[in-house]
Amino acid sequence: MPQIFDRSSNALARMSLILTGLLIIALGLTLDELQRSPWVTRQGQRADQPVPFSHKHHVEGLGLQCQYCHTSVEESSYAGIPPTKTCMNCHAQIWTDAQLLEPVRHSWATGESITWTRVHDLPDYVFFNHEIHVNKGIGCSTCHGRVDEMPIMYMQNSLQMEWCLNCHRNPAKNLRPTSEIYNMAWKGASELNPVWCASADVKTGTPTAESVTCTEANPDLKGGVQMASLSQALPGLHPQTAGTLIGSENTGPVLLPAGLHYTKFTNQEALGNFLLQHYDIRNPRELTSCEVCHR
Amino acid sequence: MKNTVQNAQLTAQNAELPMAAGENGNDLAQIEPKKLTLDEVRAKLANQKGKKFWRSVDELADEPEFAELVNKEFPSQASEWIDPVSRRSFLKVMGASMALAGLAGCTKQPDEPIYPYVTAPSDLILGKPAYFASAFPFTTGAVPVLIKSAAYRPIKVDGNPEHPYTRGGSDPITQATLLDMYDPDRSQHVLYRGETRPWVSFLGAFRAMLADKKASGGQGVYFLSATVTSPTLARQWQEGKKNYPQAKFVQYDPVNRDNHYAAAKQAFGDYVDTQYRLDQADVIVSLDADFLGGVQFPGFHQLARDYAGKRKLQGTLQMNRLYVVEPVTTLTGFKAEHRLAVPPSRMAAFAQALAAALGTGSAQGGGWSDHEATFLQGVAADLRASAGKCVVIPGEFAPPEVHLAAFAMNQALGNVGKTVAYSEPVNPMPSIQTDDLRSLVADMNAGKVDWLVILNANPVYTVPADLDFETAMSRVGTVVHLGSHVDETAQTSHWHINNAHYLEMWSDARSYDGTVSIVQPMIEPLYGGRNAHEIVQSLLDNPDVSAYDAVRATWMGNGAPLAKGGAQPQAAGNAANGSANNVATGGDAEFRWRKVLHDGWIANTAFTPKNVTAKAGATAGQPARQSSGNALEIAFRPDANVYDGRFANVGWMQEIPRPITNLAWDNAAQMSYATMEKLGLQEDDEVEIALNGKKISAGALAVPGQADGVVVVTLGQGRRIGRVAGGVGYNAYLIRPSTAPWSQTGGSLRKTGGIYDICVTKSHHIDQRAPFAGGPGEGTHSLEGDESLDRGIIRYATLTEYRNNPEFAHEGVARWTPEPGESMFPAYRYDKNAWGMSIDLNSCVGCNACIAACYAENNIPVVGRLQAKIGRIMQWIRIDTYFEGDLSAPRAHYQPMTCHQCENAPCEQVCPVGATVHSPEGLNMMVYNRCVGTRYCSNNCPYKVRRFNFLLYSDYDTPSLALMRNPEVSVRSRGVMEKCSYCVQRIEAVKIEADKDNRPIRDGEIRTACQQACPTSAIVFGNINDKTSEVAKLKTEIRTYGVLADINTRPRTTYVAGVLNVNEELAKALGEYAT
Repeated sequence: MPQIFDRSSNALARMSLILTGLLIIALGLTLDELQRSPWVTRQGQRADQPVPFSHKHHVEGLGLQCQYCHTSVEESSYAGIPPTKTCMNCHAQIWTDAQLLEPVRHSWATGESITWTRVHDLPDYVFFNHEIHVNKGIGCSTCHGRVDEMPIMYMQNSLQMEWCLNCHRNPAKNLRPTSEIYNMAWKGASELNPVWCASADVKTGTPTAESVTCTEANPDLKGGVQMASLSQALPGLHPQTAGTLIGSENTGPVLLPAGLHYTKFTNQEALGNFLLQHYDIRNPRELTSCEVCHR
Repeated sequence: MKNTVQNAQLTAQNAELPMAAGENGNDLAQIEPKKLTLDEVRAKLANQKGKKFWRSVDELADEPEFAELVNKEFPSQASEWIDPVSRRSFLKVMGASMALAGLAGCTKQPDEPIYPYVTAPSDLILGKPAYFASAFPFTTGAVPVLIKSAAYRPIKVDGNPEHPYTRGGSDPITQATLLDMYDPDRSQHVLYRGETRPWVSFLGAFRAMLADKKASGGQGVYFLSATVTSPTLARQWQEGKKNYPQAKFVQYDPVNRDNHYAAAKQAFGDYVDTQYRLDQADVIVSLDADFLGGVQFPGFHQLARDYAGKRKLQGTLQMNRLYVVEPVTTLTGFKAEHRLAVPPSRMAAFAQALAAALGTGSAQGGGWSDHEATFLQGVAADLRASAGKCVVIPGEFAPPEVHLAAFAMNQALGNVGKTVAYSEPVNPMPSIQTDDLRSLVADMNAGKVDWLVILNANPVYTVPADLDFETAMSRVGTVVHLGSHVDETAQTSHWHINNAHYLEMWSDARSYDGTVSIVQPMIEPLYGGRNAHEIVQSLLDNPDVSAYDAVRATWMGNGAPLAKGGAQPQAAGNAANGSANNVATGGDAEFRWRKVLHDGWIANTAFTPKNVTAKAGATAGQPARQSSGNALEIAFRPDANVYDGRFANVGWMQEIPRPITNLAWDNAAQMSYATMEKLGLQEDDEVEIALNGKKISAGALAVPGQADGVVVVTLGQGRRIGRVAGGVGYNAYLIRPSTAPWSQTGGSLRKTGGIYDICVTKSHHIDQRAPFAGGPGEGTHSLEGDESLDRGIIRYATLTEYRNNPEFAHEGVARWTPEPGESMFPAYRYDKNAWGMSIDLNSCVGCNACIAACYAENNIPVVGRLQAKIGRIMQWIRIDTYFEGDLSAPRAHYQPMTCHQCENAPCEQVCPVGATVHSPEGLNMMVYNRCVGTRYCSNNCPYKVRRFNFLLYSDYDTPSLALMRNPEVSVRSRGVMEKCSYCVQRIEAVKIEADKDNRPIRDGEIRTACQQACPTSAIVFGNINDKTSEVAKLKTEIRTYGVLADINTRPRTTYVAGVLNVNEELAKALGEYAT
C-alpha cells in the first residue's frame, strides 16, 4: 500500500505547526490588545446620560469650581455627584424652560434621583480614595484629563491597574503644588513656565500642604506674589479659575511672609522630587503594595 | 446564607431521617458516629506527664471512626456536590463557562447607574462613616452602643467607648443585632387574619375597643409583654392604668430573673438588683453564675472587664481568684482556678452549706463527698480570709435559696458596700414573671380575656408546654401580636403588627449601673414597623404622642419647647428617679437634650446604692441530697447565641460555634462522659428525653466537666419559622415545666436507636505531615489536637510557678524562638510601621464577641449547617478551647486564633499566582481577584486560619443584606481563599488620615474589629516598630510567646501566657495542679 502522504506534505505539516503557533501567539496578542482597548476599558466613550451635561460649558465657560459640585473630594474617598439641588441652585432661575433640563426639573418635582451612568467606574474590588490624592498633589486633570474641554464627559485614561501603577511607581512625574490641584491646564514646570517653591519648617501634625508654598510668578520680583496653598482662608477653595492659562491673571496677589527661600524649578522631575519630599509621599514600595487598593 | 434554606429542610427531617442529606449525592453527612472508649482515653491521659492538653476526647480515643471523620473533612475532599446542581447539569454549566473562560478577561463591566440625592443631607459626607450613640435594650439591661453608619445605613454595632458601663466592649448578641435588623424574614406588614392591613385600621379597631372598655375600666384588656426595659414604656403603662384600672399588664420572658427577684423580695422585702464591684474583689465565688458568659448575665460587660482587669499582671503580682460551683459547664467555670460540678438539685444545699461554714444560717449537713467537702471548706476559708474583699455571686438559674444564701454570705463577710451594692432594679417594672403568666393563662382559660395584646413576645413558642398557651389563646376574643417576625404566635393571632427594630425606633433603657440610655433610630424603619410605645400610648389621654415625644417627655417633662428651668419630670414608679434624672432642670435644656442624644445616655442617672439589709434567717436549710436514684435531672439553659430563640433567625448566631461545645446550627442533649457511659450512649446517638410525660428527641453530646446525672437542654431552637431558624434543633420548651423552669429531677432518657448527626465544629484540620516532620503520617488526626499535646500551644503557670520562674513560657520542648536571621529567605525590611497583635490569654474569657464583630466588619458569609459540619465555616477568627486534665473535671484554656501574619509566611511561598503577598508593613495580604483557588496556602498554613469559599457562600441577591455590608471590604465570591487581614481597611483609613495630617499614626488609633469588641481588652493591636506602643510593650513582656514560633514563622500575633492564682492549700487537698 502506497503512502497516503507524499514526502512533500512534511513541509505542509511543518508549516501548519508553525502557523498554529503563530495563530496562538496572534490570538494572545489580540486578546491582550483587546483587553486594553477602549472597547473593554470604555476609554473615550460617551455614555448616554439623561442630561447632556457639559463640563466644558460649566467649567471653562462659566468658571465653576470643581468642588462646587464634587463637594467631598478633599475629605472623602468619594468625590460626590451633585444632588439635584445643586443644579437647581442656578436652573431654578436660568434656562427654566430648556427641554434638555426636563429630567432635572422632573427629579426636583418628584424627589426621584436623576439616573446618571457612571463614567469612571472602577471594579468593585478596587478601593480608590480621592481625598489622599487631592491632598498630596495629584490634580483632577492627571486622572480625569481636560474635563474643562469635554462637552460630554468621557474617560480620558484607561484606569486600568497598569495605568495606576505607572504613577504609583513614580509619583514624582505627576505631582503638582496643591494650589494647582483644580487647575485643568496645569502642565508641570518647564523652562517656559518655571515654578518657584518654598517650604517652611515641616511640623508634624499640620497638613503637608501648609508647609509648602509655590508660585508661578517670580517671587524675587517686586509687587508681591500670589500665595498658593491649602492654608488659605478657604482651605481647599483655591483662587484659580479652571481653564485660565498658567501665569495669567489670578485672584489678587497675597503677600507672602518674608524670609522664605524659593527654589526655581524648570522641569517636572525636579519639582516632583521636591514635592515628593515635602508632601511626605509614601515610597513606591509602599504605594504599590496590594492593600493600598485591594481589601 | 443561600444554602441555609435547603439545610434547614434537611435538618427538619433529621430526627427521623438523619441521612436525608445523602440524596444530594453527598456522603459527607454520613459521617459515622464516634465511639467512646473511656478507659482507653483515661489511660492515655494518665500516661501524659506535665501539662498536657487535648482538643476533643474522640481524638484521644484514637478510634478508626474518628480518623475517618477527620479524613472526610476539610481539606482533602472537595469533589463532592453539596448544592442541588447535579453533576450532569454542572458539566453543562461548566462547558459553557469553559468556552467563555478565555474571554472572561475581556468582558466589559456592566453599566453602573448613579443615583444622587435630590437634596443632600447637610451633615453627610458620602464615603465617610458616621457614628451615632444608641443602646441595645436587652432584658438584662441596656447595652450602650455606638453605631457605625454608612450613608445612614447601620453597618456595625459596637459598645459605646465613652459609656461608663461598656467602655467600648460588646458581646456576640449585641454585635448580631445588626443582622437581626437586616433579617430578610422580618415581617413587613400589619396583618389581620393573614391579610395585609394598614396600621390605621388596627389603630381604629384598638381604640374603638378601648373606648368601649373605658366604662368598665378596661376589664378584659390584657397586655403580655416581654420584660419591659424602657422607663418610658413603664411610665406610659402606669399612666394608662389610671384610665383603665382593670386592664392588666403581664411581663413574661422565658429567661427571666424570677429566682433573683423572689429571693430579693424575701430577703429585702422589695425588688432589688445586685451590683458587683469585681475591681474590688480578690476572691470571687460564683454559684452557677456565668457572669463571663455573655450578655445573658446582667452586667456582663462590666463584670468581665473588672474581672480581667485584675488579671493583667502589669507591674504587679496581685490577681484575683475565681471559684465556680456549677452544674453546667460554662465559660466562667472554665476560667475558674477551682471548679466544682454539682447537680442543680444540690446547688441550694451547697450554697447553704457554704453559708453555714461562714457562720450564717444553718445547713442540714451530710451527703457531701470528701472532694466536695474539701472544696467547700477551702472556699469558705479563702472567703473568710479575704472578708470585705471577696464576693459571692449567685446565678440567675440557681434557685432562690442560692440567692438568699449569697445575700447572707456577702453580708456576713462585710462585702456589702465594698464589693456588693444593692440598687433599684434595672427593669422599671420588676415582677415574678412565671406567677403572673400562670394567672394570665388561668384568666384566658376562664374566658376573662377579651383583648390580649402581646408586645414583642412569642408565648406560643416560649411558654412552657404544661401551660398550653396556644389552647388558652383560642379562648381569647382578639389577640394582637406585635413582633419582628410572623412567628409561631403571630400565626395564631388575629392581628399581627410588624415591630420596629431597636435600630429603627425611639425608646430608652437602663444599663446595669442604672444609667439611662436613649435608644435612637439609625435608619427609617425598613418595613414601616411600629413599636410598643405607640400601642400603649393609646391608653393615655393623648393617644397620638409619638415614641420620640414620649421618651422626651419622660426625661424632659411635658412642656414641648422647654422653658428655662424646665418642667417637672414625670416621675412614674421608679421610671424617673426624681429631679436628678431630669435633663430639663436649669440652664439650656434643649442643648442638654441634644447632648444626651449625642452621648447616648443621661449623665448622673446611675443608681445610688440602696441601704438594705438581708433579713436574718432567710436562709432556711434544705436537705442536702434530694431523692436521687436513677432519675436524671434535666436542666434548661438559654442558648449561648440564639438566647431564648429570639436570635434563632440570625445566621451569625446559628453559625458561630457555641463556647465549649462547639455546637453550630444545633442544640443537643448535653451530658457528662460518665453519664453517657452509664446510659450506654455514644455521641450522636438519638435520644428521647422525657420529662413529666412530655418528650422531645435530640442528639447526645458529651461535654467535659458537666455534673454527672444531669442532662442539659438548651432553649431557643426548634423554631417553626424562618429561612435560618426553621427546623434547626429541637424545641426544649416542649418539655419545660413552668414550675421548675431551670431544672427538674425525674427525667428519663431513652436511646431510640437512630443517629442524630450533631453539628459540631471541632477538629477541622487534618495533620498531613510525615512522621519526620512531626506528624502522624497518615492524616488521621487534627492538627491542633496533635500539636496541643506537646508543642506548647497553650502555656500557663500558677502564680507561684510564675513568681519562681518568670521564664516559664520559654522553657521546655518546642518553646524556643529562632533568631531573625535563621531563614533561607531574605528578611523583609519594615521601615515605618510593622503591625502586630498581642492576645492576653489571662483576659480572654472565650465569649465569642470577637468572632461576631469579625463577621460584621469583614462581610463574612454564613455557610449553613452542612457546610459548617464539614469544616467550611468561614470565620476569620476562631476560639480554640484546649482541655486539660481529667475528663470529669477538666480545666480549659481559650485561645483566639486569627491569621498570625507571619514574617516568614509559609502561605506566601507556595502561592503560584502571587495572590497572597507580603506588605511592607508585614501583613500577609490576600488579593482576592488574583486567587485561583489552589488552596496550597491553606495546606501550608501551620495555624489553619485560611478559609476557602468552596461554594458561593456570599449572598449577592437578598437586598436587605446588601445594605448591611461593610462598603470598605470586598464581598468574596466562590473559589477564593480568604483570611484575617488585621482589618486592613481600618489600617488604610487611619493611614490616609495620618498622611493628610503629616504625622505618624498614633498608638491605639487603629483598632481591629475583634479588639474593639473584646469586653476584657484581651486583644491589643498596634505598631511594633514604635517601642512606646502598648503592643510593643506587651511583646517584650516576659510571658509573651508565639504559637509554633519554633518553626520560624515569626508570627506577628503573639500570646501572653496565662497565670492562675491557685489556692495552693486547696489544690493540694484536692490533688489539682499536680505536675
